[in-house]
Amino acid sequence: MFRDARTRSIAIQCLLVMAVIAAASLFITTTFTNLQTRGIPIGFDFLTMPSRIVISEAILSYKSRDPYYWAIVVGLANTVFISALVIVFSSVLGLIVGVTRLSSNPLAAGTCRVWVEIARNSPPIVLLIFLYSLWWKVLPPVAEALNPIPGVFASMRGVMVPSVHVDMETAGVALIVLAGLLILVARMASALRRFRAPLSWAAGAALLFGLWVADAGFSTDWPVFAGSNFQGGLELTPELSTILIGLTLYTTGFIAEIVRGGVLSVGPGQWDAGRSVGLSRTQILRLIVIPQMLRVIVPPLNSQYINVVKNSTLAIAVGYPDFLAVMNTIISKSSHSIEGVFIILGVYLALNLTLSSAANWYNRRIAIVER
Amino acid sequence: MPAQAWSAPFLASLRRTAGLLFGSPLNAALTLAFGAVIAVAVPPMLRWLVLDAVLFNPDPAACRATSGACWSFIYAKSGQLLFGIYPVEERWRPALVCLLILALLGWSVRPASWTPRLLGLWIAALALIVWLMGGGLGLEEIPTSAWGGLPVTLILTVVAIGIAFPVGILLALARRSTMPAVRISAVIMIESVRGLPLLSILFVASIMLPLFLPEALLPDKFVRALVALTIFAAAYLAEVVRGGLQAIPKGQYEAAAALGLPFWRTQYLVILPQAIRVVIPALANTIIVMIKNTSLVLVVGLFDLISSGKAALADPAWPSPAAETFLFIGAIFFALSFSFARFADFLERRGPAAR
Repeated sequence: MFRDARTRSIAIQCLLVMAVIAAASLFITTTFTNLQTRGIPIGFDFLTMPSRIVISEAILSYKSRDPYYWAIVVGLANTVFISALVIVFSSVLGLIVGVTRLSSNPLAAGTCRVWVEIARNSPPIVLLIFLYSLWWKVLPPVAEALNPIPGVFASMRGVMVPSVHVDMETAGVALIVLAGLLILVARMASALRRFRAPLSWAAGAALLFGLWVADAGFSTDWPVFAGSNFQGGLELTPELSTILIGLTLYTTGFIAEIVRGGVLSVGPGQWDAGRSVGLSRTQILRLIVIPQMLRVIVPPLNSQYINVVKNSTLAIAVGYPDFLAVMNTIISKSSHSIEGVFIILGVYLALNLTLSSAANWYNRRIAIVER
Repeated sequence: MPAQAWSAPFLASLRRTAGLLFGSPLNAALTLAFGAVIAVAVPPMLRWLVLDAVLFNPDPAACRATSGACWSFIYAKSGQLLFGIYPVEERWRPALVCLLILALLGWSVRPASWTPRLLGLWIAALALIVWLMGGGLGLEEIPTSAWGGLPVTLILTVVAIGIAFPVGILLALARRSTMPAVRISAVIMIESVRGLPLLSILFVASIMLPLFLPEALLPDKFVRALVALTIFAAAYLAEVVRGGLQAIPKGQYEAAAALGLPFWRTQYLVILPQAIRVVIPALANTIIVMIKNTSLVLVVGLFDLISSGKAALADPAWPSPAAETFLFIGAIFFALSFSFARFADFLERRGPAAR
């Protein structure tokens, strides 16, 4: 009977399914008996109870009498905030470093190479702990804060940057304008391919107009040194600054290599071909080189972005309360470990699946359409 | 004339360098920008690293007096930094283990030694390592809670990858199986592990294993971290191996089927040797990632290099030179993964080896 491939295949699959079910039920029953003998309740009711945990800093406002679910949201917001900033900074820097590595200038190419090699060959957690230990060694006390760019101050207490305040009405108007723009772009893609350029100019003008209408609701707040501390602006603590700087330095090394590989993947023959049909330099870049480069760059860039979200968990090494750190505190405080683990797994899977499906959508759009 | 004889090539190379540095406006701007950054950053770094640093003076007071780095701390504490809280008089054992692992790694990267015999060598070496570290049979017994430092990093890397490799091959084969139940289980397993940060897997392993398992079966912290690292490595290795499997032309399967080879013999004799050869550079990269990842076990309370560094820093006799210690630890990781990266480059340049 087992000589028949079809029967054998069905038998193997049945065995596998039974094994999975048996293992799962064994795990579940032991878990429940273990929980019962220790008198630990199960359920998600605890989420609405006051958490009374301490979150040392947060992008959203948080008080220790807020419920557990809000503590989780606050931790998640911190994770998203770090990841988004690191992704933006390291993409820009990675582009510059990657292109500079290809420069014929030995000084520039060599410096960038040292950066890339250090970033790629050190564990990010060691990098973060090292930078954190440097913070008080290198930076001056708050009264003598460094002021490298107008409005930015760096001292032992952290980094001060100008902040932008937006009131709710303005945010509403801005969102409406943005929504209109998105609809416009979506329509452009299918029907109005030929008028893409004038339409984007019109859309840009509309956005500026929307911002001008909403002007009253915008205000910038610059940090000013007053007496013993800074007033106004946004304060990035040493912990947050270390994570942002460290993860950006680290991720930049990887993105630079991806960019370099992408540039090298488009051979010089492509430039020659473009010139021979009479295209200008910008046209060759826009029509021939960049589209081919993107195809090589986007898939690995996507996995780097997902890695940034994963690496943001290293915030725990310098004591910044990211999502995982908050969940860890909640689990040890509330003893709802099973529920906590499910929330951890669900949130990271959801974050990464969102990122990768967005990248896959973009990847399909730029992929080669073969005959 | 002799003056000209040596000065002509010298001047030519000078002119070439000047051309590279200042040949075009862009190059000149780059040179000035990077030159300025180097001129600002390097002298203070050099002063701190070498010129003002205390190198070998074993007196902590010398470190308090200087504004430079305190390397004598690293020198004085090297035993504790490298081997953690392992008993001092037994430190030759972890030292021997480190040398053994590094020598074996160096031996294994030679393409000439990639034979089935290598596997046997590793299994024998692992037994020797466990005996040396753990003791028994004439050596004093040391529990895993006292293991620390570099040997923990190396053992976790080598054992996790060693177990994960066959598991990863099985997962990769399962993911390409024609049986839907097998394929779907493999996809769920691989993708959910790859979608999660390693830290969360380590946390889940340390929180959930005590709840899943009856208390009698509960493994210690070292084994829990090892399980988490192995699961993590297996998912990534599975994807690497799958890449190799996809590179095998269909004709190879058809040829094996024509010879009447059954499934496992087809895989073992025909497909896998070719598939793995193709992905050796990618495997080397995964090993680098794993070397770096083992540094995360400190978060679940294992005594790796970072935690032994932190413990050494707690000594009140010294002025707690944290930056130097973490630079030293970073340098160890850098040396390990940089040499492996150069090896991966070499394999990549060499191309997939012909049999």
